[in-house]
Amino acid sequence: MKLLIVEDQARTGQYLSQGLSEAGFATELATDGETGQYLALTGDHDLLILDVMLPGRDGWQILQAVRTAGLDTPVLFLTARDAVEDRVHGLELGADDYLVKPFAFSELLARVRSLLRRGASPSQDTTLTLADLRLDLIRRRAERAGTRIDLTAKEFALLELLMRRQGEVLPKSLIASQVWDMNFDSDTNVIEVAVRRLRLKIDDPHPNKLIHTVRGMGYVLEERHD
Amino acid sequence: MRRLSLGTRLALLFAACTASVSLGAGLLFNRASEQHFVELDQQLLESRLALFRSQLVGLNSPEQLQGRLPALRNELSHQADLALRIDGPDGANWFASRDGLPGTPSTSALTTLHADGVDYRSLAVPPDAQTAAQLTLFLDITHHQHFLQGMQRLIWLTVGLSALATALLGAWAARSGLRPLRQMGQVAASVSARSLTTRLPVAQMPEELAELATTVNAMLQRLDDAFQRLSAFSADIAHELRTPLSNLLTHTQVTLTRPRSLEEYREALHGNLEELQWMAQMINDMLFLAKADHGLLVPGQTALALHDEVDALLEYYAPLAEDREVQLLREGQAVLQGDRHMLRRALSNLLDNALRFTPAGGQIRVTLEPGLRICVANTGAAIEATALPRLFDRFYRVDPARREGSSEHAGLGLAITRSIVQAHGGSIRAECQDGWTRFVIAFTEGR
Repeated sequence: MKLLIVEDQARTGQYLSQGLSEAGFATELATDGETGQYLALTGDHDLLILDVMLPGRDGWQILQAVRTAGLDTPVLFLTARDAVEDRVHGLELGADDYLVKPFAFSELLARVRSLLRRGASPSQDTTLTLADLRLDLIRRRAERAGTRIDLTAKEFALLELLMRRQGEVLPKSLIASQVWDMNFDSDTNVIEVAVRRLRLKIDDPHPNKLIHTVRGMGYVLEERHD
Repeated sequence: MRRLSLGTRLALLFAACTASVSLGAGLLFNRASEQHFVELDQQLLESRLALFRSQLVGLNSPEQLQGRLPALRNELSHQADLALRIDGPDGANWFASRDGLPGTPSTSALTTLHADGVDYRSLAVPPDAQTAAQLTLFLDITHHQHFLQGMQRLIWLTVGLSALATALLGAWAARSGLRPLRQMGQVAASVSARSLTTRLPVAQMPEELAELATTVNAMLQRLDDAFQRLSAFSADIAHELRTPLSNLLTHTQVTLTRPRSLEEYREALHGNLEELQWMAQMINDMLFLAKADHGLLVPGQTALALHDEVDALLEYYAPLAEDREVQLLREGQAVLQGDRHMLRRALSNLLDNALRFTPAGGQIRVTLEPGLRICVANTGAAIEATALPRLFDRFYRVDPARREGSSEHAGLGLAITRSIVQAHGGSIRAECQDGWTRFVIAFTEGR
């Protein structure tokens, strides 16, 4: 997976590039609009991450050039502008998502993965598994080590999200949005409590813990062998 | 072009009024005297003409006239301004008492004529059975005209002088009449960001200005309030950001003072991350509020079943409420045109706040009333009445001791709720009664 980052703030660009590389993506970085547009049109990228305010050509102009050239590469906008009309403008031009600065890197990573997954055909799996944890999506049943676990509807939805995106750190805001449809920043600790309760049912009876907290970033479901 | 001052404007208007009134009166008088002269002339001419006619009864030729001329001239000499002309039936002139008389007028009625620089009024008797000749009597009206001209001059002089006098007096009157306005201007000029407390003395103002003064005072009050709030807000921002920033600085510097284990570095970064996330959240909240302040919050207009929205929120908060042993309830149904995300956020902040202050074993009850009111009530210790309206202020916390520390929330939640409610055209208030704290949102009818 190859990503193009167009960001004129040197540090921001460098951190993003490093973070995304370490998350397993090949990244290319342009620090001005002209170079950015040239690379966007010539390179074969799976995703473009564009800053709106750029020297040379701004992010919207690059997006227009890309769409005019007939490329449907997904585009994620990073913007310090927060005006509603700006968002509308960006989305009208064919942007796929936007993040307003300041944002958390874990949030960016989750959005990037969502966008890249969007093109792929949805998985047809009827069961999700990790280690001895099994989730039957049709009968809405969860079991671990052969023992059935009783989950509420929301607990099931939360576990399904973690299972589908196992290995990824999911920020609280993404969990709130996907499971409860709460699309706003909130400093409440509802998600912490919900995850703790899920953990009580999934992990507590077993020595091999699967749900892990990544402090300050979110939660991840994976098998760890320490 | 420079604008005229109010004083000058009033003085000029006064002058114009006086001038037009005196001009009107003068013209009326002029016309009346002219009319009076005409009537006098007519009477005089008629009586004289009758006299001459009686003297000339039976006159049929110029020769007969010669005998009667001396008596005629004698009669005419009594009145120097009268002149007589006698014409034959064929139009030939038989007699004229003076040279330079105008020709025979076309009509026998009273006519004004002009000849050789003299104005005449004439009256004629056409030939009839008793006299073959036409008699025309002329009256020299020069002195009348002189009198009228003199009077016209006097009228113009009166107009001019009275206009000048009223202009001067008017300027003085306007100047003293407008003194309260000047005072008002001086007070307004002394208002600056530093002295927003100055007020206009409404009691001493004339009636017309009292209303304006009251309005200006109200505006000053609002400005003062807004300014106070803004100053407090800036100070609060500085204060709120200072704590996490100083934590970050100290923590980072202490960590770097000597080499540490990998685990310690990781721990330090995690600590910093928490502070940073708290700051980012606060900045995002403040941006939201700033947008609301500038009227940039434009809520969508979807018909929302509020009971469904509240149920979704209660489901979201259920784990937390169970943890705290607090019961969540919803009563009633209502539909509202609004923005789903924003309203969810507003209600979520209210629930979050309620959960924070409801003791274990307590209850949180959301009541929906069609028409339209939303009430979020929780059991718990009463909040002081003076603190209730301030709950919606930015960074306001009932207990100031809980200010510090990054784990505590920023105190912007209720301010955000109020902004959202106001953007939807509603209002929110808090009240405490019978062991319940209630947040009541009221939307105007018709939404």
